[in-house]
Amino acid sequence: MSEEKTVKNRKNKFIGENVNRIDGIFKVTGTARFATDWPVANVAYAVIAKAATAAGTISGIDSAAAEKAPGVIGVITHKNAPKLTPAGNLSGGSVLQDAKIEFFGQHSAVVVAETFEQAQAAAEMIKFTYAKAEARVNFDELIKTAQKSPSPARADVVRGDFEKAYSAAEHKLDAVYETPIEHHQPMEPHSTIAMWEGDNLTIYNPSQVVMGMRGAMATVFGLKPEQVRVITPHIGGGFGAKGGAWGNTALAAMAAKVVKRPVKLALTRQQMVNSVGLRQKNVQRMRLGADATGKLAAIAHETSTHTGTTSQFVEGCGDVSAMTYAVPNSLISYKTTAMNVISPTFVRGPGKAPGSFALECAIDELAYSLKMDPIEFRLKNEPDKDPANGRPWSSRSVVECLRRGSEMFGWKNRKMEPRQVRNGEFLVGSGVAVGSYPARQQGTSAIAKLTRKGTDVEATVELAASDLGTGTHTILAQIAAETLDLPISRISVKIGDSSLPPAAGSVGSVGAASFSNAVSEVCLQCISELQARSPKSSGPSDPVPVNVAELMSEANLTEFQTRVDARPPAQAGQYSSHSFNANFAEVWVNEQTGMIRVNRMVAVTGAGRILNPKTTRSQILGGCIWGIGMALHEESILDPRWGNFVTRTFADYHIPVNLDIGTIDVAFVAEEDKIVNKLGVKGVGEVGIVGVAAAVANAVFNATGKRIRKLPITPDKLM
Amino acid sequence: MRPFKYTRATDVAAAAKTVSTNREAAFLAGGTNLLDLMKEGVAKPSELVDISGLAFSKIRSSGNVISIGSTAKNSDTANHALIRRNFPMLSQAILAGASAQIRNMATNGGNLMQRTRCTYFYDVNMPCNKREPGSGCGAMEGINKGHAIFGWSDKCIATNPSDMSVALMALDAVVKVSGADKKQRSIAFADFHRLPGDTPEKDNTLEPGEMITSIDIPMSSAGMAANSYYLKVRDRASYAFALVSVAAAFEIKGGSVAKARVALGSVSHKPWRCDQAEKLLTGKSLKDLNDASLRAAVDAELMDAKPLEHNGYKVELARRAMVLAFKRALKSEVVA
Amino acid sequence: MSDNFPELVDELTADEAELLEEVLSDLGESRRKFIGQSSTAVLGAVVLQFLAKRTALAGEEMAEFVPLGDEQAVKVSFRVNDAAKSVSVDSRMTLLDALREKLALTGTKKGCDHGQCGACTVMMDGRRVLSCLTLTAQCEGRSVTTIEGVAKGDVLHPMQTAFIKHDGFQCGFCTPGQICSAIGLMHEARNGELSYVSKDMRKTAASITLSDEEIRERMSGNLCRCGAYPNIVAAIREVHTGKATDPMAVIFDMSKEGSDATV
Repeated sequence: MSEEKTVKNRKNKFIGENVNRIDGIFKVTGTARFATDWPVANVAYAVIAKAATAAGTISGIDSAAAEKAPGVIGVITHKNAPKLTPAGNLSGGSVLQDAKIEFFGQHSAVVVAETFEQAQAAAEMIKFTYAKAEARVNFDELIKTAQKSPSPARADVVRGDFEKAYSAAEHKLDAVYETPIEHHQPMEPHSTIAMWEGDNLTIYNPSQVVMGMRGAMATVFGLKPEQVRVITPHIGGGFGAKGGAWGNTALAAMAAKVVKRPVKLALTRQQMVNSVGLRQKNVQRMRLGADATGKLAAIAHETSTHTGTTSQFVEGCGDVSAMTYAVPNSLISYKTTAMNVISPTFVRGPGKAPGSFALECAIDELAYSLKMDPIEFRLKNEPDKDPANGRPWSSRSVVECLRRGSEMFGWKNRKMEPRQVRNGEFLVGSGVAVGSYPARQQGTSAIAKLTRKGTDVEATVELAASDLGTGTHTILAQIAAETLDLPISRISVKIGDSSLPPAAGSVGSVGAASFSNAVSEVCLQCISELQARSPKSSGPSDPVPVNVAELMSEANLTEFQTRVDARPPAQAGQYSSHSFNANFAEVWVNEQTGMIRVNRMVAVTGAGRILNPKTTRSQILGGCIWGIGMALHEESILDPRWGNFVTRTFADYHIPVNLDIGTIDVAFVAEEDKIVNKLGVKGVGEVGIVGVAAAVANAVFNATGKRIRKLPITPDKLM
Repeated sequence: MRPFKYTRATDVAAAAKTVSTNREAAFLAGGTNLLDLMKEGVAKPSELVDISGLAFSKIRSSGNVISIGSTAKNSDTANHALIRRNFPMLSQAILAGASAQIRNMATNGGNLMQRTRCTYFYDVNMPCNKREPGSGCGAMEGINKGHAIFGWSDKCIATNPSDMSVALMALDAVVKVSGADKKQRSIAFADFHRLPGDTPEKDNTLEPGEMITSIDIPMSSAGMAANSYYLKVRDRASYAFALVSVAAAFEIKGGSVAKARVALGSVSHKPWRCDQAEKLLTGKSLKDLNDASLRAAVDAELMDAKPLEHNGYKVELARRAMVLAFKRALKSEVVA
Repeated sequence: MSDNFPELVDELTADEAELLEEVLSDLGESRRKFIGQSSTAVLGAVVLQFLAKRTALAGEEMAEFVPLGDEQAVKVSFRVNDAAKSVSVDSRMTLLDALREKLALTGTKKGCDHGQCGACTVMMDGRRVLSCLTLTAQCEGRSVTTIEGVAKGDVLHPMQTAFIKHDGFQCGFCTPGQICSAIGLMHEARNGELSYVSKDMRKTAASITLSDEEIRERMSGNLCRCGAYPNIVAAIREVHTGKATDPMAVIFDMSKEGSDATV
């Protein structure tokens, strides 16, 4: 039996179609329930109070006024908090286990009251005194003494002899690129409703990795995983911040346990900057050497950055330089220094987004000094296999992305010399950059349930997947409908609940590939099992056409269900699999004010099979806009004296607004990848942002002649 | 937020009396800034007197002034035919501020009462002489990219965030206020906001209990309608406070500048009137207005700028923004 | 695919109401009864009938009084989605929290609670405002429309349909505010109201047709972190101009110069 053939002979065709989001109706009517939207009886409200110093210990807590304040039913500090078993991001004092302070804004108390207003007012009344210690918060000073990262994942990667090749190279670039601390800032602040029934905990909590959240809560509260239920059908954006468990979720559960009532706890927007991770500040020194023909001979990508004091997380900025171009001699290294800040974590395009800013600007700079078109320069250094590990590509479409994008954008009209195009007050420039992100499938289980009434069959697919706006609900309905050959209206998708079969998370662009292959497999298995049971059928070798209603009827079934535990294909590990893109940006720079508009962008992506071009396009748009924000707006600033963020609000931490965004054209190049996984799906959540900031920065250079190597490119930098 | 008593005012004098006798009471109109500050713990009123129902929401022509009611909404003001026709720069300035939703809520009086956006003022964990006199200035040695280059003191380097006020400054507006004893007075716009000096906690010259009833703009300023422009430079295209803003207005008579009015925003504790530049531009023949002469006027104004560690760019930005605003205001009148 | 949809009924039966309760509380089994790509309006009708019923029921209840002492409690009578409400609330309670925590209207979202994101946008007496910076106490005698009340009658508001068609959202958290804001924007355009990017403040018109640039500026008070802005503009443009466009079209036309940056 050929699975390919089976799926191709369906009357109901949905895979690859522009199906509107099946959950769209709920989102436009305000009926999609996010964590704190769930109606829960007798709920109490919790508000977190935070430390106002970056290092030391809490030496005193005066909570008398708060405890007596109207409506207050509980004040929890490290002095009276239940003892937990913190691990991962829940360690480092974030769950009130001791007096130690690791960063400014560490959770230091939780107040629970009858109303939100009462809890908030009482939280303000708590007075902390501190035994302050010297805080490690001045990045510019600390970075001078940064040491080799102790993390094995960030050990030096050496290929050939960089120093020798670099010193011999005819054309060289040695430049430092700097990206600031950035925050995810999803529109939905992290928020939870927690409730206990005996020793069983239920949390409504936005979780990109449903089973991961369940595991983290089980660990911290000493429960069996089955005693924890995580419900998260809709997630108001995550971008990495809702990938792991952070203290706020545990504190909500702790508070519910203490006051013996369901508790609702939402972080304030201001609290988001020191509660749920951040993208670390990266200083990347790039050294590139090429010969006279533009062939790269050497590349060194040396990142200096910081960790938190309680974790060693370092994003892999250098990864891009290991695999994007065919370079025989390379050096990737990381130096780190510990800082008293909330732990850095994954942020959209982890490593690749800031790493590609450095690499793709450096490539542009070197191409310019060679007087070569930057696309031609890239084509010249295109690798035929993955230089990082020598493995063949399962598929690679960088060249296609560049060619297609170049046509769409009209790259041929671009002037190589800067400051050549002017439109009224504006200098106009164009830039290009490429990007990639690994494509992986992770183990995911799924159940398909069929119910038949006469000739009408309805199907439900169930798995503990998540949808943070990526479109998971919709693509899974499409796959189930087409595979079972049913109208899409007959499909229900149950996800976002840890009581469902375990699934991968929506992180690192593994979600779509993992979930969709599992759903495809379970639906195919449904058919073959039904065929095996059907007396009329000649067995599974005769699969076409599929009629599940007939099959169920022949087997005299009104209910049927089956389950698969889908695994990535064995051969995938022998190949290198990535999603690829090419980004083109046209910027208009007001020559007087320095204000920059990305007037238009073209983003071309190769990401295997595109299950739903409409929702996938939206993800790429989002990646582009994140990249524009990274290039022009976003910067979290620490006061180097005290370690507090002075950019606590949306008024201070600028993300792009509607007027910042011009036209963005998105296209996909055809990639048929039979190796990466059965469906040939690669994932696009991360790749969309990779390379965008560089394309914008390169365009700013082309417009103005100014090379800004320190993001964001705000008007002051162009004065 | 501490609990507070909420009352709806029906009578100006009674409202004024409440606020003048209870130093912890405050007027509430649109609430777009006050509520924000209360949620941050910066403002802690024990009583809010809601004055939005008082009869100060009219925009009308009255003799030789256009009178803008203090409780009229920003959006209604910007779109009012009298304002658009006579003071289009004021419409622009109002529309440059905040978002459509906020302009639909915010009142004109409240716009003038906006407090600084200095992040050290907003964060109650930081020292700030404006919020807590004597606690020090966190910004002075801190992240002061957005702070003042004119008129700051060693106590405070904050800027006034209002766009509307910058235009009103250039339009020679007058602020009408009413006090507890029904005493009415007029305050020239230039005297309404104040420099920080030793008392940065005071943003303006209102007495306790005094309420803005209207903002009056002389019709004589309408002569500049055809040649005026409000330019706002910011870190993103919209919905952001200014790095620098410029209100520039000219009355052209017989081929020369009969009147010039220029004010800068986000450079000082108050909207910054540019007397020097005005003086150099007034009387100039249009034929003599070019990059060099505009630049000379601007340079004269900016000579006294005193930038801080992180805001040196503001001097150059103000220089360029002023010239650009002049050109946009003068349009085809000037060959640049 | 219309044969996959149930017959529309004037009144929901108890079973249907139960089914819809499930639809609304979960993306569970029952959704299949109602969902289809091409007939959101049909689905909308059923959901909205249900919502109307639920809202009407909620209207009969007096919201819970929070005992704080007489000084801080404020009695407020106002209309929410065309239903009269009389509530006694803590003077500190914002309209946003009253909607969400007292009136079970959780469609309106708390994105920042400080007037910096627009997720809490509702309409007050027909104009878009931020419910997070509005005290409930200030709503006396006012009429508030939330996302739950946008579609009166038995079909979705065209803006809701256009947001689905143009994929004007991803996570959906900012969407209620975006849609309320977009509807407010349309009113403002019909009134000939200006924006900062309008070319001439002095030129008055009864009603104006907005360029994309105007739509972008006027929607800049609504942040979307997923980055749906181009789709949001496309949805609004379609409703505003009445001209249907292809959501997947490659927009940039190389024969024309780029759009006009204005700031």
